[in-house]
Amino acid sequence: MKQNISAFMDGELFEDEADNVLSRLKKNSELQQAWQEYHLIGDALRQPDYFANDFSARFHQRLETEPIVFAPRRRVMQKARYFAVSAAASMMALALVAWLSMQVDQERTPQLALAPQTLDIRPASFSNNNEINDYVMAHEEFSPTTDVHGVASYIHSVHR
Amino acid sequence: MNYNYLILLAYFISAATSFADPLRDDQAEWLKTMAFAAHQSNYSGTFVYQDGVGGHVDVSRITHVVDENGEHERLEKLNGERREIISSPNQVWLITNQGKVRIERRKGKRIFPALLPEQILMLKENYVIREVAEDRVAGIHVHAVLFKPKDNLRYTHKMWADSQTGLLLKAVVIDDRDRIIEQYAFTELTLGDKIDRSWMIVEPLAQSSLKSPNVVPVLTAKTTDWQIDAIPSGFKMTQHFCYPLKNRNRPVTHLVFSDGLAGISVFIEDLAGRENVNVGLSSQGVIQVYSRVAWNKLITVVGEVPPNTVIQVGDSVRYAGVE
Repeated sequence: MKQNISAFMDGELFEDEADNVLSRLKKNSELQQAWQEYHLIGDALRQPDYFANDFSARFHQRLETEPIVFAPRRRVMQKARYFAVSAAASMMALALVAWLSMQVDQERTPQLALAPQTLDIRPASFSNNNEINDYVMAHEEFSPTTDVHGVASYIHSVHR
Repeated sequence: MNYNYLILLAYFISAATSFADPLRDDQAEWLKTMAFAAHQSNYSGTFVYQDGVGGHVDVSRITHVVDENGEHERLEKLNGERREIISSPNQVWLITNQGKVRIERRKGKRIFPALLPEQILMLKENYVIREVAEDRVAGIHVHAVLFKPKDNLRYTHKMWADSQTGLLLKAVVIDDRDRIIEQYAFTELTLGDKIDRSWMIVEPLAQSSLKSPNVVPVLTAKTTDWQIDAIPSGFKMTQHFCYPLKNRNRPVTHLVFSDGLAGISVFIEDLAGRENVNVGLSSQGVIQVYSRVAWNKLITVVGEVPPNTVIQVGDSVRYAGVE
């Protein structure tokens, strides 16, 4: 169901499915929580000026008062059915990653299209180069950045 | 001569300068508070990271515990292939599906707190710091602070820190064209002592089973042999060493520069007849790496700075010793 919410947020459900999601959201507080979290994470990465603090409350209020008039555009179903998930612990995370990646791509495209001439250097990633990774680890041990970011600095050695 | 007039003028000048940036000291203090919180708090949380260049998103679990021996850290990637880093005060391990690899940790590691008063001064010379907003991240009230560089040799950093503890919960690095270079945010965080500690390395036991020496010895580098002509203004050398790096035969000279927020490392390694070396530019998120060969050495520059800066620094490294 959480995957359906994610797909719903991306506008990838058919009308009947969307109605189904909405009616279940209305009843199930756990799903409302998921809905809120997806939006928060999306907001967090898209860097708005303000987070919707009482999002849940306001959403609930509007859901109660407004009649559900939902008319999504007809379009070809995209691969909204995602993937099989094995480890229970990473289930949520995986769903988020899939959703976030799509968000990122959607936002990147117009930006690149607008200003292609300003893209000067696109360096290759060093993530698979162990020799450079050694240097990066040694650098991070002494960089002032590590002092502020703490454990998070290790992400450069883990991310691929 | 009207002394009253002069006194009045002096009063206005001093008032004007102090009113110009009344919170200036407090802003820099934030960084100190963040560094303190990063090293002294016990926390565990889920963390979303995006490399702005590659666009990839990773979800990781981060845990940090402080005990009488020092800091214990764990970063575990939750998606994709297994990659995990566990560190204790004297050891760092990278764990993958292929096994565990020990990563060296150098002696002379900075003594906490690392943000010395002169570093805060450097920070103010190089960045305009201002508090931009109050907000919420992972359900926690945060203050956002913006570090905007005064030139284009550095990145803009925006940081969101827990209003109570100062712990950094979200960070974005932006280049001079407002492109996001990397960003991360906690989506969930537990603070306090109720944190799983089963993964922590019990040092005395672990040390006895190790073949390699605990800490790599560090010699002071003869830094006078190497000149870096185009280090950007505001960067000062904070440390210099000479030590063996994993899988290298000869010791590597390592010079560290800091502008208070970003670091630049210059590594100089004897090529010793090696032919397959990586040269050129590579990157990951905020970190740029640039290598070139000169004087039969491999010169590698690593830093949390834009590509142009590492290239500028790398190209200006010059041997100034006796040939």
